Amino acid sequence: MARDTAGGTGTESTRTGVGARLAAVRALLSPRTEAERERRRVAVMSLPYFVLAIFGAFLPLGMLARMSLSENQFRNEGFSLDAWETLATEPVYREIAWNTLWFATVTTTFSVLVAVALSHALAKYDLPFRRWIVAMVSFPIALPGIVVGFMIVVLLGRTGLLTNAVAFFTGGSRIDLATALTVGGLFLGYAFSLIPRATMVLRGTFEEINTDAEEAARALGASPLLTFYHVTLPQVWPGVVAAFVLTFRTALAIFGTVLVLPALNVATLRINLEIQDLGFNLAVASAMGLVYFVFIFGFTFAGVRLIDNESLKI
Amino acid sequence: MSSETQQDKQVESAVEAGRQRRGGLHRLDVSATVGRPVVKLVLGVTLTFLMLPVFVTLIASFGTTWTGTLPRGFVNLENWRTVLGLAEGPGVRDGVITGLGYSAGLATAGMLVNIVVGVPIAYSLVRYDFFAKDIVNTLAILPIVPGVVLAVAFLRMYPEQGGSTLGLIVGYALLKSPFMILTVQSSLQSMNLQRVEESARSLGASWTRTFLTVIVPNARSGIVAGCIITWTLAAAEFNFTYMVHSAGPRPFSLFLYQNISRAPVLQGAAAVSVYFLIVTAVILILQTTGKAGFTTVERK
Amino acid sequence: MAEVTLDSITKRYREETAVEGIDLTVRDGEVLGVIGPSGCGKTTLLRTIAGFETPTEGRVRFDGEDVTHVPPENRNVGLVFQSYSLFDNMSVRRNVAFGLKMQGVGRSKRRARADELLALLGIEDQAEKSPQQLSGGQQQRVGLARALAIEPRILLLDEPMTGLDAKLKRRLETEIGSLLDELGVTGLYVTHDQEEAMVMCDRLAVLDDGQIQQVGTPAEIYERPETGFVADFVGTSNSLSATVRNGEIDLGFTTYDGNGLPETTDGTVIVRPEDVSVGDGDVEAVVRDRFYLGERVRARVELPDGTGLTVDLDPSTDGAAVGDTVQVAFETEGLHVIT
Repeated sequence: MARDTAGGTGTESTRTGVGARLAAVRALLSPRTEAERERRRVAVMSLPYFVLAIFGAFLPLGMLARMSLSENQFRNEGFSLDAWETLATEPVYREIAWNTLWFATVTTTFSVLVAVALSHALAKYDLPFRRWIVAMVSFPIALPGIVVGFMIVVLLGRTGLLTNAVAFFTGGSRIDLATALTVGGLFLGYAFSLIPRATMVLRGTFEEINTDAEEAARALGASPLLTFYHVTLPQVWPGVVAAFVLTFRTALAIFGTVLVLPALNVATLRINLEIQDLGFNLAVASAMGLVYFVFIFGFTFAGVRLIDNESLKI
Repeated sequence: MSSETQQDKQVESAVEAGRQRRGGLHRLDVSATVGRPVVKLVLGVTLTFLMLPVFVTLIASFGTTWTGTLPRGFVNLENWRTVLGLAEGPGVRDGVITGLGYSAGLATAGMLVNIVVGVPIAYSLVRYDFFAKDIVNTLAILPIVPGVVLAVAFLRMYPEQGGSTLGLIVGYALLKSPFMILTVQSSLQSMNLQRVEESARSLGASWTRTFLTVIVPNARSGIVAGCIITWTLAAAEFNFTYMVHSAGPRPFSLFLYQNISRAPVLQGAAAVSVYFLIVTAVILILQTTGKAGFTTVERK
Repeated sequence: MAEVTLDSITKRYREETAVEGIDLTVRDGEVLGVIGPSGCGKTTLLRTIAGFETPTEGRVRFDGEDVTHVPPENRNVGLVFQSYSLFDNMSVRRNVAFGLKMQGVGRSKRRARADELLALLGIEDQAEKSPQQLSGGQQQRVGLARALAIEPRILLLDEPMTGLDAKLKRRLETEIGSLLDELGVTGLYVTHDQEEAMVMCDRLAVLDDGQIQQVGTPAEIYERPETGFVADFVGTSNSLSATVRNGEIDLGFTTYDGNGLPETTDGTVIVRPEDVSVGDGDVEAVVRDRFYLGERVRARVELPDGTGLTVDLDPSTDGAAVGDTVQVAFETEGLHVIT
């Protein structure tokens, strides 16, 4: 008896569930109210993007997850935690994670600080050739990492311009003076890519600053520094957070630069290594890629929660 | 008497407080005299840091040797002849033309995909409020996955087509779509979208027609800027390309890499300079369309 | 042009109700003004007629025909917004001709009709320009020409004058008002500016909190407000609590002839400042504030029982400085009782 009743309510609730879903489908296919038409429009307009995202990103990422658990390197077969075990136990991966994180944090912080100064100057100062300065600052965004790496070599490599110049004046050895392939050289390479990106994010924020409040503060006798701290900073703060989030993501994703200047073993370099040089080590590469993706995704959403979407510009 | 003295005292202390405050301000005014030059110095150093290697590379590409402090033997076009495929060079087989042509085709296809994908979603994100809009927005304007990770995923998901022309187009479209979405969004935000759309519809234009004849033309500047930026970035995309490419014509970025990693530095400089010229041309085009370079921020 | 009827329209968004049980008819050829404070639901009403909102309950009829579920593009309504919302990618002429193009009218005919309307609004020399090159007033004329071009069944105007400077606004009001009259346009005019509405509209509907308070000619609304809200919102008024008994209005400090008003113990008397005469009367009041307004002086006086009263003074009146005591009297015609 009791079972019957339970079954009865179960069917009924399913029926209303199906009914509601049918109504939603009906509304989508032949909308009757303006709100329903609007919903259909949103669905239609978002469709192309989601098709691309599903086939270009979500399905491949799902496969990535499956692959990291495969027993076979070439086919999705069986179930094995080997790849994850390797990742968790071998010390080299811990070192890679540490390298990736500290280096990205340091380069991002540096780049965002420089970008704050640059955006402030671009928004506030009466600079000559302002448009061209903006163009010059944004130019490196278009350069792939390998080109950035190459240019660091041009400046600081064994035959690099600065290396040669310093060697000429100090009489030191060019080989000792070359810094392109050190962590310092790599740092400059990262900064070369990151400063422009951070500046582009912050430029929008700085242009929207309410100058009335700043002028009021100055009129009340606050110095530029105090005005910046009390009036400007609270206004640009969301932009600074957004710049940090976006720049940090970019820093984590840098690959070409570190491929040309392999001074530090970071995650992207290792993923490449697993696939190209250590044999076609897809399971471990997949696991790393997955950790990487989950980390960036989580980090982004955590960061975005701190600010509103308006500040996100790349 | 006593009340007068009291008043005097109050005034005195107020003046004193004022003097102190003013004195304090005077000391802090240092920031006005020091702050600006420091910020300008940072700007100057950064611009030099960003531009110096570009110019050195460009100039070096016309040199013959670079054994001393500066490259020597100007003007030598041999590096360029090699890069352009007009002469045999060490380490590199083909000239830039085939690779560049192939990459230009891939970038154009990716750009077209981005128009189809990016303009509608940018419009719905600006115009409508809907379920999970914030999440969709964040997904759409940030690259979902870094190129390297996407490449690994592609190798797994599409072992046959991952590195093919189609695979590269899909990858480029996905990786560069945020730039299109953001530029279109910012140009849509500058118009009163809802009112304009409602005006058109009240005049008898169907919604589709409104979108095509009123909305899209008004978003033209954003679409054009988005096209230029996504095209340029895709034409030299390296991270994804390097990982997935296996056969077929060699894309431009791989040609660059080959010149950078295997050829003499001056020849590499010439190869890189080819790309500099492309980017410069693109920036000039962007400037004429009203954008100040590679930015998704709408000029006011 | 058509008669537009709203049958007990209710619009609810998730939790809040925008308008409730609205019954309203816009008669063929009249301009009906909808006035009320911001957030009272007047724009929702306009958007419901245009078709951009589907009502939660109720029907919208054009000449009796139910259009509740007809999409906006098939309703043939003209829309004029505060933000002119012209199409920046088209010339002024193409803006005006846009609706005709959608109707499939031929090119030369479209052009002729557009030029005709631009001439009617006095901006025929701007036809080739881009909307961005025009001034605010010119843009609004283009917006109006564009909406009129399709010979809409009803013209909907949403705060069209807001944002224009005061002088231009006054000029456009009379100009457009008489043009709409001449063309016999059926219109719904939404505004928060009652003066504008009185100039432009044949009848007014006062809306508050999603409900209609009163519908009537501007004179009816001003002279015989039916609710305290209407009295307060339209023009300046004084409300005094009163009792009506035995054909007499008792204000507490004085009584007047109640000339046939319904009896009440708890009524409110509404009196406009211009219906209070100052200088000669049986009630003493103390002047508390004076505001010089040019053609008259508005003053705030205090009655014996402490009630404040807004009155008008002749600027030439002497002896009504702040602090002076003056004699006031109510004109019996102007007393209006709300129960």
